[in-house]
Amino acid sequence: MTPPPTTRRHGFASNILALAFREMMVMRHDRPFVAMITVQPIMMLLLFGFALTNEPANVPWALLDRSHSAASRRLAQEIEGTGYFLPPRSVASTAEGRALLERGAALALVAIPEHFARDALRGDPEIQVLLDGADPLSAARVGGILQEVAAAFDPGGRSLRERAATRPASTPGPIDLRRRFWFNATLADRKFLLATLGGMLLTNLCLSVSSLGLVGERESGTYEQTLSLPTTPVEFVLGKLLPHVGVSYAVLAIALLGAGIGFGFWPQGSWLALGLLTLPFVLASLSIGVFVSSLAKSSAQAIFLTVFFILPSFVLSGVLLPYQLMPDGVRQLGGLLPLRWYQIGLRRIVTRGGGLDDVLVPILALLAFFAVMLAVVRWRLKPRLG
Amino acid sequence: MSWRRLRTLLIREVRATLRDPFTLTVLIAVPLVALLSFSFVLSIRVEHLALGVHDASDSSASRRIVADLAGSGSFDPRHYATREALEAALVAGEISAGLVFPPDFARRLLGQRAGERAAEIQVLLDGAETILAGNADVFLRSIVRASGARLAARDVGQGARGSAARPEPAAGSVRAVTRALFNPKLDGTPFMVAGTFGFVLSFLTTLITAVAIVNERLSGTFDQLQLTPATNLEILLGKLLPLGGIFALDVVLMMFAAELILGVWPRGSALFFVVISAFYVLTSLSMGLFFSATSSTAAEAVQKTVLASIPLIQLSGFVFPVRNMPDAVQWVSELIPATHYIRISRAIYLRGAGPIELLPELALLTLFGALLVAVALRSLARRA
Repeated sequence: MTPPPTTRRHGFASNILALAFREMMVMRHDRPFVAMITVQPIMMLLLFGFALTNEPANVPWALLDRSHSAASRRLAQEIEGTGYFLPPRSVASTAEGRALLERGAALALVAIPEHFARDALRGDPEIQVLLDGADPLSAARVGGILQEVAAAFDPGGRSLRERAATRPASTPGPIDLRRRFWFNATLADRKFLLATLGGMLLTNLCLSVSSLGLVGERESGTYEQTLSLPTTPVEFVLGKLLPHVGVSYAVLAIALLGAGIGFGFWPQGSWLALGLLTLPFVLASLSIGVFVSSLAKSSAQAIFLTVFFILPSFVLSGVLLPYQLMPDGVRQLGGLLPLRWYQIGLRRIVTRGGGLDDVLVPILALLAFFAVMLAVVRWRLKPRLG
Repeated sequence: MSWRRLRTLLIREVRATLRDPFTLTVLIAVPLVALLSFSFVLSIRVEHLALGVHDASDSSASRRIVADLAGSGSFDPRHYATREALEAALVAGEISAGLVFPPDFARRLLGQRAGERAAEIQVLLDGAETILAGNADVFLRSIVRASGARLAARDVGQGARGSAARPEPAAGSVRAVTRALFNPKLDGTPFMVAGTFGFVLSFLTTLITAVAIVNERLSGTFDQLQLTPATNLEILLGKLLPLGGIFALDVVLMMFAAELILGVWPRGSALFFVVISAFYVLTSLSMGLFFSATSSTAAEAVQKTVLASIPLIQLSGFVFPVRNMPDAVQWVSELIPATHYIRISRAIYLRGAGPIELLPELALLTLFGALLVAVALRSLARRA
């Protein structure tokens, strides 16, 4: 080692790099941390890839067939044939069907009236559907499916397949609505959830490492020691966080590769735009973590604050449920979360195949967020003794 | 086991908790924040959704349909001069759905003869937002069909209001009249409120218990207490009973907050709900105990809790219904106590179910609760 020179050679960049090197060494030996960043992506991939979906399946339903006609039996078969439903439970009265709904044993009661076959000949057949409003999202979807089956039902006697052969993809009525779901033809929820998997993982990672890391330094007294170093608090924080930017990109790569290899869902748009969008998001998330750590007095407090920032982030940002449908006020509140803007950008690039010019607004929003947080952190981070 | 010694420990714990403003804040603020943020987010109503329109037919019929869509309050139409511009807006996420009228739309619609193909409209929906696209599709089709039927009947003069909110079937096929029990407007709020109890009582309870016990052990007060005449069980109960009591109070607090702010009150017996919740708190406390017994630092306990809680809560049907999962995953869900508690909570809140309807769920919850308490006590006994 050379003795310290008289001129000040330790500049801003080298200070940060030295601290970043130290942080990397610490990180490599932190086994729970390494376990967390590898286990979590795999766990979430499996959850969102296989388990979670809003698409109805195994729907239990009750059938009250008062008509006992060939047409009513065929309608029941067509409902079951959609694949969303279990075989129906036949009930003898409306009261019996209602009792099933009340116990939660059925999600829908389909009642076919006595004169269904006769009405069908006259051209005005009607059925009644009673849905379990206790599960509103499923009830709405199931109601929509039943209505579609009923509207497409031909009381005249031809089966669904025969009609499909004669009149392809058309709906009855004077207007033929040719519908297409872009970017996701089968409307698979998997694509909705996997597109933002990276955002969820990075929120977890960035917030927890930066909040816990700094509180940990303070608890073990090493933060006060930095008072004697030639570094400023901002240099210290930046040096500590720099390696985590690298880790974040690694985690994002795991998420993207996992979705691509495991589920064939590769980003449709520009990888460069994806990389550029991620940087301000990671910086913004890390700076929130630093802010949290400046509020907390102990690791336990930092964890609580972090966890309870992450949860509303997930709920309000739109990664799990569409933010467009949230009521006014709540929707705008979610706009204050970095994850909202990141998920908007992710969906544009990953699902819709957008490029850099499509995500300029999210990038600017995230940069603005980072700038504000940096100013706040700078003000909060003066090392204090005691 | 002596009641006097236990009482001393209880008093100590209550005092210690009351002196700690941070924990108190967490215990009051977190349930309320969770309640408010979750209760608003689930909505199936489509309101003021940006809808791109490219109208190549430029006819009174197409304008009528667009006006009907705007008048329903569900869609805010924006016009695009070319199809390419509309498609670009869809990629950029500016619009969630697009409607393309071909040049011959009006001629086909109004001059329709039997046997001729129907007038065509192309609908493009943003599949990137699956839930949104599904809901928008149902609304859009019902409105367009209704106004198309009126137009074809040369009934253009009549207003479109009133018919717009509910899907209307097309003429000539079976009409399905739907009605929802318990929640006619299919409002997402009570569903989410009832689920939030499960979320708070599973996650917050486990987390706070784990941290409290580990901290006690780290600061050495656990060892000190073991030197007193108090037995291990008493020390543990002295720690857990006040926590359980606080969470039971949290349940009541959340119930009143839900009633006052959101107007949601259990349809069934409120007392029955509190009793079930208090029992469920016991299972969550045991879970926290288990995590604390297997970790050596507070940070480790929290990491374990969070890592385990995310899948547990997701699989419990809090947001995504268990019934939609693949069979094998459904079996895992059925083994999670939170699944049963959330089911019970929703049944009491929304359907007004009583103990008799809920008997099987209650039996399972009791079984899992008893198992968890036994496991937690064993792991702790080995440690002590």
